[in-house]
Amino acid sequence: QETIKLTVASSHPTTIPWVGMIKSHFMAETDRILAEKGNYKIEWQEAFGGTLYKANATLTSVEQGVTDVGWVFSFLEGAKLPLSQVSTYTPFTTSNPPAQLATMAELLDAVPEFRKEWEQYNLVVLGLTGTDGYDLYTKTPITKLDDLNGMKISAPGVLGTWLRGTGANAVDGSLTSFYTDIQTGVSDGVLSLALGVLPAKLYEVAPYLTRVRMGVAFSGAVAINRDSWDGLPAEVQEAMTAAGAFYTEAHGKDLLERHEMAIAKIVETGASQTPPVVLSELPAEERQRWVDALPDLAGEWAAAAEAKGLPGKAFLSAYMDGLRKRGETPARAWDKAE
Amino acid sequence: MTGIEIGALAVVGLIVLIYIGLPIGLGMLVVSYAGVAAIRNEAVAFRMAGAVANDSLREYLFAVVPLFVLMGLLVTVSGVGKDTFDVFQQALRRLRAGLGVATVFANAVFASITGISIASASVFSRVAVPEMTRHGYTKTFATGVVAGSSVLGMLIPPSLLMIVYAVLAEESVGRMFLAGVLPGLLLAGVFSLTIFLLATFNRRFVFDTPVDGAAFESFGLGRLAAKAVPIATLMLLVLGGLYGGFLNPTEAGAVGALGALAVAAMRRSLTGRSLWRLMVETGQITVSVLILIMAATYFSRMLAMSGLPTALADLLLSGPIGPMGFLVLFLALVIVLGCIIDSISIMLILLPIALPVATAAGFDLIWFGVLTVIAVEIGLLTPPFGLSVYTIKSAMADPTLRVSDIFRGALPFVAAMMLTLAILIAFPAITTWLARL
Amino acid sequence: MAKDANSRAAPPAGQLLAGLDRGWTLLVDGLAALGTLMIGVLMAIICADVVARNLMGASLPLVSELGALTLVMIVYLQLATTVRHDRLARTELFFTGFRERLPRAGAVLACLFDLTGAVALAAIAWSTVGIIERDLSSGQFIGVTGVMTLPTWPFRALIILGMSVSAVQFLVMAAKNLRAAARGKGART
Ligand code: NA
Ligand code: NA
Repeated sequence: QETIKLTVASSHPTTIPWVGMIKSHFMAETDRILAEKGNYKIEWQEAFGGTLYKANATLTSVEQGVTDVGWVFSFLEGAKLPLSQVSTYTPFTTSNPPAQLATMAELLDAVPEFRKEWEQYNLVVLGLTGTDGYDLYTKTPITKLDDLNGMKISAPGVLGTWLRGTGANAVDGSLTSFYTDIQTGVSDGVLSLALGVLPAKLYEVAPYLTRVRMGVAFSGAVAINRDSWDGLPAEVQEAMTAAGAFYTEAHGKDLLERHEMAIAKIVETGASQTPPVVLSELPAEERQRWVDALPDLAGEWAAAAEAKGLPGKAFLSAYMDGLRKRGETPARAWDKAE
Repeated sequence: MTGIEIGALAVVGLIVLIYIGLPIGLGMLVVSYAGVAAIRNEAVAFRMAGAVANDSLREYLFAVVPLFVLMGLLVTVSGVGKDTFDVFQQALRRLRAGLGVATVFANAVFASITGISIASASVFSRVAVPEMTRHGYTKTFATGVVAGSSVLGMLIPPSLLMIVYAVLAEESVGRMFLAGVLPGLLLAGVFSLTIFLLATFNRRFVFDTPVDGAAFESFGLGRLAAKAVPIATLMLLVLGGLYGGFLNPTEAGAVGALGALAVAAMRRSLTGRSLWRLMVETGQITVSVLILIMAATYFSRMLAMSGLPTALADLLLSGPIGPMGFLVLFLALVIVLGCIIDSISIMLILLPIALPVATAAGFDLIWFGVLTVIAVEIGLLTPPFGLSVYTIKSAMADPTLRVSDIFRGALPFVAAMMLTLAILIAFPAITTWLARL
Repeated sequence: MAKDANSRAAPPAGQLLAGLDRGWTLLVDGLAALGTLMIGVLMAIICADVVARNLMGASLPLVSELGALTLVMIVYLQLATTVRHDRLARTELFFTGFRERLPRAGAVLACLFDLTGAVALAAIAWSTVGIIERDLSSGQFIGVTGVMTLPTWPFRALIILGMSVSAVQFLVMAAKNLRAAARGKGART
């Protein structure tokens, strides 16, 4: 039996579910498959939680071989991974992570430009990751769209665009910075996901949870450095490919279930704090006002991609159609804009 | 060679390089490069060097470093320190060794508007030492008190050391600051007790003359209030802003620096030329601190890659030493290193190795941080390299004052700091209560 | 450094060298002055944001990103002058005594330290060239698309400039130390 050493790393801690699942699903499944034949064994060196690099260097760290395997956070790589941003420029489209991840996986095979966008950075995509649903967590209650006017809302990278047209100012940040930002008054709340809010305890500082159901987003991939990949025996490569697909599917299902669980847990844990967590639903007509108030985000995005020589419009349509095919009904037909 | 062996070798190499006098930041860059090249390959080491230089300092939080340094230098020239001392002198002069205690408490208050200990040391060596010697205190004791109480500058918020720790441990700066408040007051109390005991049982160490015949300068209540206003305003601005939720630490630094600039301008203690000199000095301090942080980032990433900290945690915590043994060992190592290396370098060298162990031991990292800061600050007072002592020596410009005398005067305060450390270890709530409120 | 009467009679090569040295010092000090100004700019940006937020209820765009980048500028623009004034933290435990006892060997050791610094900083500068190339080709920016963005390459260029000038400053000091060693003196000018 041959032992292979691989480093696996992430900018976020394993308490974040999709990072934890790298260990519990991707690594475990790879080990399980390899153990069946018993020819190879991987000795994983774990560097989760930002010990090797921070969230601003997830792509370059895998690209440059700082780690062998790592989670690449595509949100913060708008310039390098333009097509991967499609879901972040099409809010209110789907709240179904499995459907979204399946669509993205399909596009990765069907659209060569999309695959090349990743592989040009000296890496091989193994599994895909997404987010659970985005909602608002604020210091003051939100009952109508106008309440947002003039507020400072933390949002990770490109998600700041979801606030355009609402009168709120987007404050850039990441899950690790939101707590302090809200606590110290850098922002008045955060546009975030229940699965991130729960472990980061953001509800302690932003107790008003307004369910806006803005949708889920494609957030990146578990990838391996290509030089490391090329050095692996075929049997290990096959095991990792299979484990990657297993990870993507398990992760999608997990997101769906965990989102509701996380919201329930936030309400439960936050009930005893002062002020307690208050859960409310943004009224449907206010939600629709938000949808309509947004500028043509997807159109601008597609045009910018076309300017770079990428098939922005076709990719947008393929994405929306892929979701419709899987039974999703977008609140705004981003691909049918004038 | 395994990664762990490479990591250990890199640490040994770093110690050798630092010992022979290579700038500490350069030493960390060199061993980190060699370490990564050995663990992975040279191309990765090369690209990581660039990535670290470009990304590790790109944190909004670090902007607080030049701002608090500038603020400290501005309040130093504007006479705010002397006013603070005058207020406490008037209040405590009837006490036994009252001037010594006044120096401690004036330092504690001054600490709340400056983030660097050298600011405290240079201010009070000019303000408190002449006054104490005039009243018959020995120079050894007078300078010892100033050196000892200057450490309050980095324990009571704001504090450059706390910021550096918070960054390394990924703790909230605001909470770290809060955690320093009660231990800072406790230390001030223990210092006062030390002074009182010395004045009672070892009078010759404290006083030159048996009876203090010198007159005290006396201020009316109005003058006294006028003296208290600037420092109270600055405290309100910085601490009020920080804990009232109006300002984050970086903003508190900027607003504080602007406030200190306003105070200095109103008191006409600045010319355009001297302001520029202060800003240049601010820049130099900032660079020497942040270059260290940059290099230490590379060093800690190299260590994470080597797996050394995890292995060390397994070894130390599963063995006969246990968590408490590790803590004592770590603090002792910090104090020993404090004899020869500056505070920030010690933290940047040791914490990447020690923090994973402390986490594995289940320590509250805020508590661990305060203990680290106090242990590190003992180094300001111990020979041969004691920064506070040298600051006092150069600020005093008194050729009859020997460095060894100041070190001797500071010795009781080193003992007081050790006692305080023991108290804080025994009662963690003193540290964590405010921060975890 | 005292200017003696001989410098007027110095050969043209010496004059050229002295002129170069002066010009170089000017460049290093100029960059440092720019960095010093940035400290004021940093304070102003952040205070303006505090005022805007607390009085007008709106924060200024890009403040945290700009603050962070300004800080990076301050550090790298002032690095060369910090190097020149020997202000990088180091221990005096061995080096000071060694230099006093064996001035020549001390100068050689100092020269080796300087060369180490030059190589390390040059490597970082060269590595950053790779980063700036990638930034340019992918149009890397800070901020949020559609709200406000700034390209990152000008900041990278300043990092390269600061690092390169500092590396050369280390070389200049290495040369001076080497000359001192050759002359049999330990003095570091
Ligand atoms: Na302080
Ligand atoms: Na010391």
